[in-house]
This record gives sequence, structure tokens and C-alpha cells, in this order.
Amino acid sequence: MVNENLVKDVVKKPYKYGFVTDIETEKISKGLNEDIIRLISEKKEEPQYLLDFRLKAFKKWQKMDEPDWAGLGYKQIDYQDIIYYSAPKQKEKISSLDEVDPKLLETFDKLGIPLTEQKKLTNVAVDAVFDSVSIATTFRDELAKHGVIFCSISEAVKNHSDLIEKYLGTVVPASDNYFAALNSAVFSDGSFVYIPKGVTCPMDLSSYFRINSGDTGQFERTLIIAEESSSVSYLEGCTAPMFDTNTLHAAVVELIALDDASIKYSTVQNWYAGDEEGVGGIFNFVTKRGKCLGKRSKISWSQVETGSSITWKYPSCLLLGEESIGEFYSVALTNNLQQADTGTKMIHIGPKTKSTIVSKGISAGNSINSYRGLVKMGRKAAGSRNYSQCDSMLIGDQASANTFPYIKSQQSNSEIEHEASTCRISEDQLFYLQSRGIEFEEAVSMMVSGFCRDVFNQLPMEFAAEADKLLALKLEGSVG
Amino acid sequence: MEIIEKIKTNKLIDKQTEIQKICLNKLKSSPLPNPKSELWRLSNKSKFSNCLNYSINEKNPKYNIPFPENSQNAIRLIIGENCQIKLINENYSIQQLSEDELNKYIKQQIACFDQNENWSDLLNLSLSSTKNFLGLKINGSKIPPIEIFSHASSNSLNAKTLVIFLEKNCAIELLQVNLGKENSSLSQSTFFLLEENSSVNHGVVSYGENRSNLLNSLNVIQQKNSEYNLGSLHFKFNYARFEISIKQSAGNAKTNIKGMQITKKDEQISTYTKIDFNGPNGFLDQINKSLADDKSHAIFEGSIIVPKIAQKTDASQLSRNLLLSNLAQIDTKPQLEIIADDVKCKHGATISQLNEEELFYMRTRGITLPEASKLQLSSYFQEIISFIPVSKDRWDLLDKLLNEN
Repeated sequence: MVNENLVKDVVKKPYKYGFVTDIETEKISKGLNEDIIRLISEKKEEPQYLLDFRLKAFKKWQKMDEPDWAGLGYKQIDYQDIIYYSAPKQKEKISSLDEVDPKLLETFDKLGIPLTEQKKLTNVAVDAVFDSVSIATTFRDELAKHGVIFCSISEAVKNHSDLIEKYLGTVVPASDNYFAALNSAVFSDGSFVYIPKGVTCPMDLSSYFRINSGDTGQFERTLIIAEESSSVSYLEGCTAPMFDTNTLHAAVVELIALDDASIKYSTVQNWYAGDEEGVGGIFNFVTKRGKCLGKRSKISWSQVETGSSITWKYPSCLLLGEESIGEFYSVALTNNLQQADTGTKMIHIGPKTKSTIVSKGISAGNSINSYRGLVKMGRKAAGSRNYSQCDSMLIGDQASANTFPYIKSQQSNSEIEHEASTCRISEDQLFYLQSRGIEFEEAVSMMVSGFCRDVFNQLPMEFAAEADKLLALKLEGSVG
Repeated sequence: MEIIEKIKTNKLIDKQTEIQKICLNKLKSSPLPNPKSELWRLSNKSKFSNCLNYSINEKNPKYNIPFPENSQNAIRLIIGENCQIKLINENYSIQQLSEDELNKYIKQQIACFDQNENWSDLLNLSLSSTKNFLGLKINGSKIPPIEIFSHASSNSLNAKTLVIFLEKNCAIELLQVNLGKENSSLSQSTFFLLEENSSVNHGVVSYGENRSNLLNSLNVIQQKNSEYNLGSLHFKFNYARFEISIKQSAGNAKTNIKGMQITKKDEQISTYTKIDFNGPNGFLDQINKSLADDKSHAIFEGSIIVPKIAQKTDASQLSRNLLLSNLAQIDTKPQLEIIADDVKCKHGATISQLNEEELFYMRTRGITLPEASKLQLSSYFQEIISFIPVSKDRWDLLDKLLNEN
């Protein structure tokens, strides 16, 4: 018989990244109105079209209602009680990393993201975002040699305005949903990636998001454009300190893949999840969408979601180009009073498009873990295929696992397959492992790791290691 | 919507029964379901309002049942026409429920009704007069098969209600047939109570005519060790809804469901199922098939709810769909909501077309394309049809489906 308490102890591990960096920051006053938006825009010295984009989004947001269809239970958010812009104070222009506040570098070092030249991870370029602004981007010169643009979105607005004007808001329009509209109105920073025609990005690109202030919302925006026959692998990681209050994180990610281009977007999300009583934690309301515009283009989302008090996230693919491919690989782990409502949308518009969905949910404690996904075959998607697999694992009898797949087909010459299953950690397998001398904790961790293997295999090397580490941290503490 | 207007102004029925009063009162404040709710969002609005655009008809003109009169000793009842029954012999008894028993049970049910989930029941109970209300209490063994018919009459809306109490250790085969008439709406609600150790093989065949509509709902409560098998078939309706709610009240019960809906022309037929496991060791095996052709729309939404108390539940749900035309549409949403940890639950869904390789093989053997398609379809239908009790031998449903449709 599995000792329930033992399993529960295993999943109760403290949050390692909960420290606060004591640094002087520049904040604007709380609240949200047109003046605040103008102020953010002014601080970032933005062109008129971007201010117009923000104001239009704000007008739309004012007319929208907060969505409640996911049935997530949380206290009403007071949008006037949030600071929409916070930046660490530093010299105006940074020419090299040496000028970045050492405290900031130390913070990222502590998080395992070394930014200093000596300690840079080999072959991964990092854009580090602290509260509302990007503080440093590494390997820029090296990337520039290949024509790859990798910088913060604020810099891109200044230096590559034409690309921003052409693509911003084309995948996730400002009026898409409540949180996307809010982000469009107040987004502060984020990453911008442009891979020119025929270039395979020489290294993995990575963004690291850190929330430091308790009363600041983080609204970053990421835009990745892969031109014809190019390819890129992008990684994203996030952490936040422990506060008793809930912090709002409403990001928008837009990906565009043209003919034969491929984008791989991987996330390891480890925002602070709140304590055992559910006090504090990040509200992670994110809109991520990729557009496979070109023929034979490919967008692949992989995510490991372990943090946040509430996750509301559906990375999606619009498959427009002929023979384009969309993929979604996800592991979501919830514990205590966490709620995760995550999944994907695969919208097949062009002919012969293909999509694969593999989702693994693990719920422990009193948490709620839901998969919610949409697969749609449009009238022109002849010869298209989809395969979805959603598995849930329950640890303890208080956790809940839900599956809500929406499947819609308007094309007779297409195929959709969906399967889902729910199970618990098998007592037989546990017994077997233990009889071979493997500690209980390790056995549980091995089984969870095995359950998630299909997804971990899709993660880039560095991330697979980090993901394993994360699950280990959540599940057993000692492994890794 | 004539009916709704009358509900609002309380001019629908002169002499209201107690049940009608309660339901009309519930509907009065918001007479229509929320079109944004999960159960109604895909419903075709104009078809739905058309379905309610008839005046209520409490009379039942003589109706010739298109199915052959049975030759065996089956019991045939037509709701609203000849439903006086009292059969008591040494093995079994079939009696009508008293008004008190009926009222008590229905009131209990209404108490937990939800405006959107049970809207069809609320409407049915508001409209169904005493004459169209059949309540049966069945016990004993060696009970002959029972056939119960409900039918609509042209240019009107008919509401029929059936309540069946199946007492302990009793097993029956019941076929329920809902017949639509041209330009008509039929509201049929069925309430089943299965006591301990009882078992039912229940068949529901709903067969419409040109521009007929159907609101069909089925509420089943299963007590311990009961077994409920349902085979259902819905076809030829301009607009039809089949809402199934099954509650295993104390677990340890078995439920098997095999359902099918076939849509052609611009028809819309939807099936909604909700299976509630309220105790341990529950079992469910469900398969729902849809076939959509021409410009039609088939919908399936199935939910399985396994609360903490329902440990060791074993539930599986499969939605299989055939989309035969590029103008047709299929929506399917099987869903699982699970809190208990020691359970085995799975669901699956597929949407595809006829298998081209199989068609090709048959054609190389000299079988024409239409014949080969028919052969494939017949095997697709057969799995469901063979599960429908009584009818399978005498009424050639397969033939009806392949040739008439």
C-alpha cells in the first residue's frame, strides 16, 4: 500500500528562488489610465504608431469583461492597484555588461543564469528581463554576424521599427482576449528575434524573466520572426520572489514562420506558486500563439509548467501554409492550491497540415490541473491530420485532473484522433522499484520522470536538464 | 416562439397540475436556456426557435405506428393513447404509479434541476398533462419485453413524460420509440429509477419525418449493483437533442451506453451525456457514433464526473465520427473531471471519413463504389444497432438507415 503521507511529503518542497533583490528601482504610480499608457510610451521613447496601438488596445480592454469560462477561482484583481512600469535604476546607456548593476548580475547568477562574459553558458544567448525592462542580452555580436537580430523589444522598436510595425499584433490582435488587450496597452519589454532568410540560428536563444517587485505586474511581449528556410530554438524561463500578495503576469508571445521556417519555443515556468494555504503567488495569464504562414513551416511549443498560483495558458498554432506543422508538448505539475488550466489550440486552415499534441498533467495536494484544448479542421484543410494525447496522474485523493478537449471538423478529408487517460502512481511499479533497493522518494521521482519522458525528449538539452531538476525540486529535493 | 411567449404571460395552460405550476414558475423568470452555456452554445438558434414555434397539443389523434405489430408477447404502450396498465401474475407485476408517488419523485428531481442542464425537462414537465404522463412500477422476473411509443402530431408540440421504477432484483428489456411527424415538435422526458440488483436493457429509437423536431431527455438513477444498458439511435430530425444524465447514486453499478446519431441535409442532432459517479467501484463503457452528411451538423458532448468518493471507478468513453461531406460539420467534446486518485478513466475521439483502402479493396473485387460504401456503413451502424433490444430482429433498422436515409 502506498503511504499517502509519504507521497505528499515528497511533493512538498520549498521554493528556491523566492528571494528579493534589494535594488533601487524606478516605478511609476499605481493605476491604469490613458496618461499612464502615454507615460510608459514616453519613457520608452516610442514612435506614434506604437502609442496609437497601445491606446486602441486600452479602449478595447475597457469594453471587455474578464473571462470566467475556465472556472478558475481567484479573488477579483484590482487593476488600479498594480504598478505597470518598474525598472531598476541604472546608467542611461549600457555599452557593455560591466556597466550593469552588479546586484542584478548577482541575482541572475543566483538563479543559475550567468550573464557575465566569463561565465556565459556556451552556445546560449540570453536576454534577461528584470521586472519591466530587459537589462542585458548576451552574444549579440556573434549573432549579428549571421544577421540574426536578438534584442529587447524596446530596442527593436528603435532600431527595427519597420519589422515591429509590420508584425506586432498580427498573430495576437489587441482585441484577442482580455489579457492580451491589457498586455497590448501596457507591455513594457520583452524579446525580439529576427532570423533572416536561409539562416539556421547558430545558438539557442533564451529569455529569462524575473519579477522582483511585489506590486508590479509583468507584461512582456515577445515577437519572433523566422524568414524563409530559417530555423531557431528559443528558450524561456521565469521566477519570482515570495510575496503574500498575488502578482499579475500577462504576457503575449507571437511567432511567425514563413516558408520552410521552423521555430521551437520551449518554456520552463517556475513562478512563485504561493504557499501551502494558497497565499500569494503569480497569476500567470498568458497568450501565446504562432502563425505558420509559409508552406512547410513548423512551430513547436514545449512547456514545463510547475509554478504560478494560477496558470491560464494555451500556446496555439494557426496552420495556414500548406503542409505546415504544429506541435505542443506540455508537462504541468500542480501542488497545494495551485490551479492550472492549460492546453493548446491547433487551427488547421491550410491543406495537408499536421499537428501533434502531447500533454501530461500531474496533480498533487488540493490542486486543480485541467487540459483544455481545441482542434479545428477548417473547410480548406483537406488531407490534414491531428493526433492528441492527454494523460493525467493524480497524487493524493484531494487533487483534481480534468480534460476538456474541443474537437471541431468541417473537412471530411481529414483525420482527428484524441485520447486521454487518468491514472495514479502504480503501486506495483513502486513496490518493484523499492524491492530493488531504490528509495521511495527516488522511485516516485523516477516514475514521474518516466511519465513525462515523451515531453522531456522534446526539450532542448539545457532545458531538459533544468526541467528534470525542477520536477526533482518539486518532487524530491535531492535529485539533480 | 409561441410557447415561450405564453410561458412568460402565464397563458399556456388553464388547469395546471402541481408539477406544472412548479416548473412554469421556474421558467417564468428566464424561460430560455443561456445560449452561451456549454450545453447550448452549439445549438442552431433558428432551428431551436422553430422547434418552439408550435402551439401545445394535449390531444393525441389516432396514430398508426409504422412499426409492425409484435407477434410475440411483448407489451406495447402508447403514451397518451392507451397507457392504462395493470398486469399482475405470479412472476411479475407492472402497475401504474400512484399520483402521490409520481409527484413525490418528480418534485425531488426538480429540486436539483439546473436552468441550463435540465431546461428540456423543465419545459417537458411544464407542458406534459396528466394524460401524457406515464408512470410504471415494475417488479418480478420473466417480464416480457416492453415497447413504449411517444409520437408527435403535425403542426403542434407534444410533451410526453415517462417515469419507471424498477424494483429490486428485477430485469427488463424496454424499447422506447419516439416518432416525429412532419412539421412537429416532440418533447420527451424519461425518468428511470433502478433499485438494487435490477437491470435494464433500454433501447431508444427516435425516428423523425420531414422537418420534425425532438427534445429528448433521459434521467437515470442507479442504485447499488444495478446494471443499465442503453442503445440509442436518432435520425431524420431537422433538430434533435438527446440529453442523458446518469447518476450512480451509491457506486458499484454498471453502465453501458452505445449511441448513434445520423444527420443529413441541413439537420442538426446533438447528444449530451453526463455520468455522475457517486460511490466507489462504478463502471462505465460508452461509445457514441455520429455520421454527418450533406450540410448537416452532429454534436456530441460527454462528461464523466468522478468525485473523491468514487474510488476504483473504471470509466471509458469513446466518440467516433464519420464526416462524409465537406459542407457538414462535427463537434465533439468528451470530457473527464476527476478528483478520486485510484481510478481508471480514459476517453478517446476520432473524426474521419470512410476508409479509402477498404473501399479500394472492395472495388478491385468488383463491388461498386455505392455498394462498397454501404457495406462499410453497415458495419459502422451494426455495432450500435445490435445493442438495441427487441427491435433488432423484427424491425430492420439497418435497412431503414441504409436505404431510406
